[in-house]
Amino acid sequence: MTDLLELAIAGLMSGLVIGLAALAVTLVFGIARFANAATGDTMTLGAYATLGGTAATGSLIAGGAIGILAGAAAGVIAYATVFRKLERRSPVAALLASIGVGFVIRAGLGLVYGHGQQVFQLPLVRPWRVWGIRIQPTDLEIAAAALATLAAVFLILHATPIGRQMRAVADDPDLARVSGIAPRRVMIALWALAGGVAAVAGCLLGIKTVVAPEMGWDMLLPAFAAAILGGIGHPVGAVVAGVLLGIAQETATPWVGFTYKIALSFAVLLLVLLVRPRGLFGRIEGVR
Amino acid sequence: MTLVLSGLTKAYGGLRVVDNVSLSVPSDGLVGVIGPNGAGKSTLFSLATGFLAADSGTVSFDGRDLTAVAATGRARAGMVRTFQVPREFTHLTVRENLMAAAPGQAGEGLLAVFFRPGAIAAEERAIAARADETLAFLRLDAVAATPAGRLSGGQKKLLELGRALMTGARLILLDEPFAGVNPVLIEELSARIRDLADRGVGFLIIEHDLRALTRLVSTLHVMDRGRLIASGAPAAVLAEPAVRDAYLGGAAA
Repeated sequence: MTDLLELAIAGLMSGLVIGLAALAVTLVFGIARFANAATGDTMTLGAYATLGGTAATGSLIAGGAIGILAGAAAGVIAYATVFRKLERRSPVAALLASIGVGFVIRAGLGLVYGHGQQVFQLPLVRPWRVWGIRIQPTDLEIAAAALATLAAVFLILHATPIGRQMRAVADDPDLARVSGIAPRRVMIALWALAGGVAAVAGCLLGIKTVVAPEMGWDMLLPAFAAAILGGIGHPVGAVVAGVLLGIAQETATPWVGFTYKIALSFAVLLLVLLVRPRGLFGRIEGVR
Repeated sequence: MTLVLSGLTKAYGGLRVVDNVSLSVPSDGLVGVIGPNGAGKSTLFSLATGFLAADSGTVSFDGRDLTAVAATGRARAGMVRTFQVPREFTHLTVRENLMAAAPGQAGEGLLAVFFRPGAIAAEERAIAARADETLAFLRLDAVAATPAGRLSGGQKKLLELGRALMTGARLILLDEPFAGVNPVLIEELSARIRDLADRGVGFLIIEHDLRALTRLVSTLHVMDRGRLIASGAPAAVLAEPAVRDAYLGGAAA
């Protein structure tokens, strides 16, 4: 029982990372209307930038801020150079282009940092024991950072003018245009926000595990699965589904083994698409 | 003259949906457009507001040539349309629908949210106050916090008018504002429109309810198969044989 609870806690941790990645996917989908396959590699970029920033400044907080800025900048640059030009084309063109953007980021990081694994040099802390369950203090900090990021995103979406305009464009882009909402500014804000969120996800994943050029790409499938399970374009859904998926993956490990837990994402993805394409929080998006 | 449309033409394949239409709306004018279904009235609105690109012709507003300006720019210039089938940001509340349309917000940039929170908060309060004022004016204050998708058809028409007002529009193009609206609300809506015209807002109105429309507008244009076939004072226009033929047919004689 304690083992299972510890697995569930581990699942919650990876679930928060998946949830953040899925949030980045679903934000882009809701407004730019395509599945952004470069999300994973933006995560990786965020992790490396945080690593570099931490080494340069000696502070993990400052490093994280640098990582977020790098992710946001990557998002905006990808939009300005690639996705803006594909706006009037089919979503498939944008999806394929995003695979290319991801490849460029991944290859660039591999070139600069090599393909070896790097780790965050954090002081070792003895885990706490609560009713016999081991809890890592680092995990609590990671969870706090994830929750703070989620809170910030939802505050931006629901309590600021730019967030309101982002939701308006997601709702009806044509109506937004004739209401005088400038699409360009909304898109730039969207890509900065999605890039920043992806960077936080990558940074937390890097702290929890290791930093390697493939780390983000490997997270893409669970992130897509969570975004679809949560109802594509639905931010709250993405996060909830990400956490559910993370817990399911980890707690399934005793039965399916470590190697196959990722297969659970496949299964969830297929099942949702077949049975309930609207996802858990059900509203059809992107059909207009 | 506030809005001047000149020689607007739009063809799909060989069919000229809007064929060389020219008309103007003075700054506080109430101008109506009628015509049978498929006459090209809504398409004319789309061409005027930049929702669709015209094949030829020009659009000028307040003496400024807007022909090459995109939809967002035309809305910002002060010219806003509504839709025949009302459109709203369905997941946003009624108040948010109005606030989203307010122009020139400092908080539109993501950076401002972090670096100028005070300025944004002040601006948000001002916009919220204007939204509440508009909601009260349209008698929508009771549903301010309701997601706009849940409004009735008539309320959605009012919301469209409200959104147009929030943009600070000086010219509003209303596409069938009275369709599906109950008679009492039509009276109220007409009164609101007259109030606004008195304050210098121009209106171009497409409407099938001739009784309500002719009581409201001072100039009436008739479209048939993409062309403008008559223009003038409502009573005179409706008396023209060509108009009775094309629009009213035998039934209304």
